[in-house]
Amino acid sequence: MPPGADPHLTVKASDYSDEQIREIEAAAEAWQQGHAETLADERKDEFTSSSGRTINALYTPADVARLSYLDDLGFPGQPPFTRGESAAGYRGKLWNWEFYAGFGSASDANKRYRYLLEQGGTGGVSIALDLPTQIGLDPDHPLAQLEIGRIGVSISTLQDVLDIFDGIELKKAAKIFTTANCIAPIALAWFYCLAEEKGEDATSFVVTIQNDPLKEYVARGTQFLPVSAAVELACDVIEFVAEKDYPWYPISVSGAHMKQAGGSCAQEVAFTLANALAYIDRLRDRNVAVESFAPKMELHFSTDMDFFEEVAKYRVARRLWSELLKERYGAEGIRPRLHGVASGAPLTAQQPLNNVVRIALEVLAQVFGGVAQTRTACYDEALAIPTEEAVKLSIRTNQIIAHETGIPDTVDPLAGSYYVEATTLAMYEEIRRILEDVDERGGAISAVESGHFSGELADESYRRQTELEEHRRVIVGVNEFVEDEDASINVFRHDPSVAERQLERLAQAKASRDQTAVDTALGNVRTAAEQRRNCVPAVIEAVRAGATTGEIAHAWRGVYGEWRSTLTGVR
Amino acid sequence: MTDRPLRVLIAKPGLDGHDRGAQIVARALRDAGMEVIYTGIRQTPEMIVTAALQEDVDCIGLSALSGALIEYSGEVIQLLREQGAADVEVVVGGIIAPGDEELLRAAGVAAVFGPGSSMADIVAAVRGGRSGARGTDTVVSERPG
Repeated sequence: MPPGADPHLTVKASDYSDEQIREIEAAAEAWQQGHAETLADERKDEFTSSSGRTINALYTPADVARLSYLDDLGFPGQPPFTRGESAAGYRGKLWNWEFYAGFGSASDANKRYRYLLEQGGTGGVSIALDLPTQIGLDPDHPLAQLEIGRIGVSISTLQDVLDIFDGIELKKAAKIFTTANCIAPIALAWFYCLAEEKGEDATSFVVTIQNDPLKEYVARGTQFLPVSAAVELACDVIEFVAEKDYPWYPISVSGAHMKQAGGSCAQEVAFTLANALAYIDRLRDRNVAVESFAPKMELHFSTDMDFFEEVAKYRVARRLWSELLKERYGAEGIRPRLHGVASGAPLTAQQPLNNVVRIALEVLAQVFGGVAQTRTACYDEALAIPTEEAVKLSIRTNQIIAHETGIPDTVDPLAGSYYVEATTLAMYEEIRRILEDVDERGGAISAVESGHFSGELADESYRRQTELEEHRRVIVGVNEFVEDEDASINVFRHDPSVAERQLERLAQAKASRDQTAVDTALGNVRTAAEQRRNCVPAVIEAVRAGATTGEIAHAWRGVYGEWRSTLTGVR
Repeated sequence: MTDRPLRVLIAKPGLDGHDRGAQIVARALRDAGMEVIYTGIRQTPEMIVTAALQEDVDCIGLSALSGALIEYSGEVIQLLREQGAADVEVVVGGIIAPGDEELLRAAGVAAVFGPGSSMADIVAAVRGGRSGARGTDTVVSERPG
């Protein structure tokens, strides 16, 4: 192996002979010279990808000469999964289209979920929680006042959860997802008790809980406990679901928010995998078998506008996940589970209908990337949370791509494109380098605590913003092709009476419960935390007894202490 | 009045934890030669005004993506007035629904920046505040220690 070469890259003979490659290189050289004048007259000084990688004018087999088809690409549904997580791809089953929704009270949210299921959303019920709930605060907390039901639904008690699912059969909804991260054990208890109350079998539907607190400290910001405590609680959820062997995904390790905080595709995948490895390492310390939970770990990424980098990203993420599980834990053949979100981040407040086109291109990229579960943004997201009209258009976008274009009719249709494979390979190498760097820094938990990840994202986002300001990158309607008039679309308006109604509900719930049972259950939550036992059984008991989100989170704060932000000078 | 650099407090009121925008703006202002302090996320209006007075800033930039900017900026401006620091300019950025800009301005916000705003415009607005209505010795001396 030549010095400096990546030890993970296959040393097996390339699919082309050395002689063939030399011939192609010589011909490419001749082509370049023959067209020197035309090639020098380009519309930009340099062509780079969104992450700053140089893009060549043309790609040939010489650019992928290092690839071995059988080892590096292989076949869909088997290691290294580059070409897809399932053998049949979308010929078997189309991707699910899911819509993240929720606002106001449980009954407001219930109406939207029913609408989505009726309109043909196939991704189940995807619950956006309001910020107080995500941070473990009840509506009656002083910090919660202006945020109740604003960006998601407010859930304090099991009754709120029951109201959300009023008239929705869990088996029919099939999938439930929520962005509970730092409160993940509470969310797990909600759905466990929900099945119990509705008398439905917990294995008849799939629950996915985001449960990835590490990235909260880096990019999303709902943390309220010290990092190590949050990781323990996350692992409790994974361990509990693995033991029950429910077909649930107890974690969706998320790069999406780090990407939306300005990260490149490579940083997104690398930091996500590093975080995933940190959870696995912790569970291994508890002697939980990797094979029992790794297939239940979802990886969640966000699809932006750089089409080919996005396609390559999903292909490379599957390969790396499969390889890392094998290399580090000897866990072979574990099928990756990717979740892609057609991102709201590139959507603009200016000329909002342009976002319809952006969303279609994002969905297309993640379909070419072979993602099985997807979430799709809506064209009005840069202005407010989506209206019904906007959500319906995003459903139709998925349906048009699925049923009218023929794109899903063969598996991994872009494979073998010299450019796509060269990009996939380049990203693979870059992500490997970042992962090595994280290892040298002592792993993801250290990189989160030291601020390394957030610093890297801040640098990248500043670089991207500077490109925009200098017009080296164009966003239609924002820095070029600008129009003066204001957006004239309908946007969703927050209903200020929600806060009052939620406060009333909470007061009623507290008044009508068996306080002794609640106190005992909360005492058990504290004891489990103090003794470092898996918290989930005690949290289930507390939720069942009528304890609120805020009360359970408060019990943890009492044991673990509380995370606080600090004032910093910007250097 | 001395020629000290403009001092700016970038603050995240409320529970919204998305601070990419706040951080980018903080850096842009720093690169434009200002002294910038960032509060971090999850601040109350009281915490923000206390920090602003302690740090003796000329301007507060509030950032929130969760939709409660009108209420938070109103409270910050009210507290500044109560503390005799009405000369501290308040500018805001984040998700701004159509029509909200007028409400924010009516609440006393000096400049409003929605998604897609340029760093250059934000820098210019913060600078403009100083050379404009405020920045005289009299106003500065009104501030508590």
